[in-house]
Amino acid sequence: MTAALDSASPARRTRRRSSDATVSAIATAGLLVALVVVLQVGAAAKWWSSAILPAPTAVARSAWDLLATGQFWSDVGRTSFEIIMSLIIGLGLGLLLALGFWKAPYIGRVLEPYLMAFYAVPLVLFYPVMMVLVGINAWSVIVLASIMALIPMAVNCWVGLAGIPPVYLRLARSVRCTPLQTLWRIALPAAAPFIMAGLRLGTVYALIGAIAMEFTTAQAGMGYRIRYLYEYYSTVQMYAYIVVVLIVSMILTGALVAAERSLLSRRGNR
Amino acid sequence: MTKPQQTTPGRDIEFSGVGVTFHSGDRDVVAVTDVTQHIPDRTFVSIVGPSGCGKSTLLSVVAGLQRPTTGEVRIGGEPVRGPNRQVGLVFQEDSTLPWRTVTDNVRFALQMAGVSRAEQRDRAADAIELVGLSGFEQAFPHALSGGMRQRVALARTLAAQPSVVLMDEPFAALDQQTRLLLGGEVVRIWSQTHQTVLFITHDISEAILLSQQVWVMSYRPGTIIDVIDVDLPDDRDPGIVSTPAFNALQNRVWESLRAESMRGFAQETGSGGVGR
Repeated sequence: MTAALDSASPARRTRRRSSDATVSAIATAGLLVALVVVLQVGAAAKWWSSAILPAPTAVARSAWDLLATGQFWSDVGRTSFEIIMSLIIGLGLGLLLALGFWKAPYIGRVLEPYLMAFYAVPLVLFYPVMMVLVGINAWSVIVLASIMALIPMAVNCWVGLAGIPPVYLRLARSVRCTPLQTLWRIALPAAAPFIMAGLRLGTVYALIGAIAMEFTTAQAGMGYRIRYLYEYYSTVQMYAYIVVVLIVSMILTGALVAAERSLLSRRGNR
Repeated sequence: MTKPQQTTPGRDIEFSGVGVTFHSGDRDVVAVTDVTQHIPDRTFVSIVGPSGCGKSTLLSVVAGLQRPTTGEVRIGGEPVRGPNRQVGLVFQEDSTLPWRTVTDNVRFALQMAGVSRAEQRDRAADAIELVGLSGFEQAFPHALSGGMRQRVALARTLAAQPSVVLMDEPFAALDQQTRLLLGGEVVRIWSQTHQTVLFITHDISEAILLSQQVWVMSYRPGTIIDVIDVDLPDDRDPGIVSTPAFNALQNRVWESLRAESMRGFAQETGSGGVGR
């Protein structure tokens, strides 16, 4: 009796869990559909002015038309360039900084308070300084977005590296790993869950940084275009740009979350 | 299946005046002092001692992970100057790498040493079979029990075909039944491979069950205060723990160890006079 229950329960549990996941996925999608329907009906019935909140179909049509314009692609190109550069510079330097702190814990202890303080500072504040230093171009955006990506990356990687079980490093020494082997075969994989979290947070920060900075003062890019359209009351086009930015950032962060999950489940962390 | 391990002859270990002193703050702690002993090649020796007596420190010296303050250790006549791939180490903590499968864990040392892929695979397969983990080659460590993970760590060490195996309380974190079972496995494996083994434990019966010789280490400063030959057959199984001969040995070791354990307890608690 007990044995029968025992053997039956795991299967039942898995089935219930997977059906739970399906239900919640359907509910999430359903909510989105409901929102779109409400927006559409509200705009058609003039519950609010469509100059404030246009109908989703109008926005979708406008977004579709945008895809054929050179203006749109040049904005996408500018913003993509800024974000990709800030990811490479910010995440790369963040990892290097964390490795440096890990190898030289004394320097790490001295610099940690600054890093933590910067975590809480709205870095957009420094945009005027950047403009003076670098000029009003893509690089002033890239520098600040890089710093924004660097901080969570460095903090997370450092926590991950400092938390490596000492026995892994003794193992590396006992089998005479070269410093490079210790880095690639022990340190980075051991810290991988934290590095992934740093990548995810750093990417989000770079995205926020780049768009927000373009929004305030830049002369090109998605953020700049949204503000421009806002100032010229081109509401439908503005929403079309917003939707495109939303979709791109959701895809980007969704992919990172999925990668992080698959890494963790393979190791049985979660 | 056991051919590869048998190709590596065990080598002897010679301790001459080994001492280790740690500096903590402005005072020196003598962890190990004046250990002069010899382990003949292909011999299994266990060190028992109260916790904190420097057993693990002595093992680290043999492994080349800790420089002795005085004296030296020679393996096969060669002085130890650092980690050596001929010396395999099994740790007390779980040292399986969670991002690698069992096979990938077992071939880790071979991969680092630049052994060819085909040979890595063959030797890993042999070692996995030797420790009884066949069927789990592609499992990740999180899917295994603590005892099985220690088998993986043991297989990783054996796959490197070391002539000397050092084990630092490898079963300390496991439950009693698993310890006994794995102890029996170690005896079986050793009777096939015959490396020189130095095994650290605080469990007297484990030490007697596994070894040909048991060394008793004193509380800090740690030194070898007694050497007891275990004249039991080499191919013993865990059932031997209930024989009178085993009991006699156990009493003999306990006699040496008791005074040291009490001294250690008294020093750690600072009460000074327990049992004296």
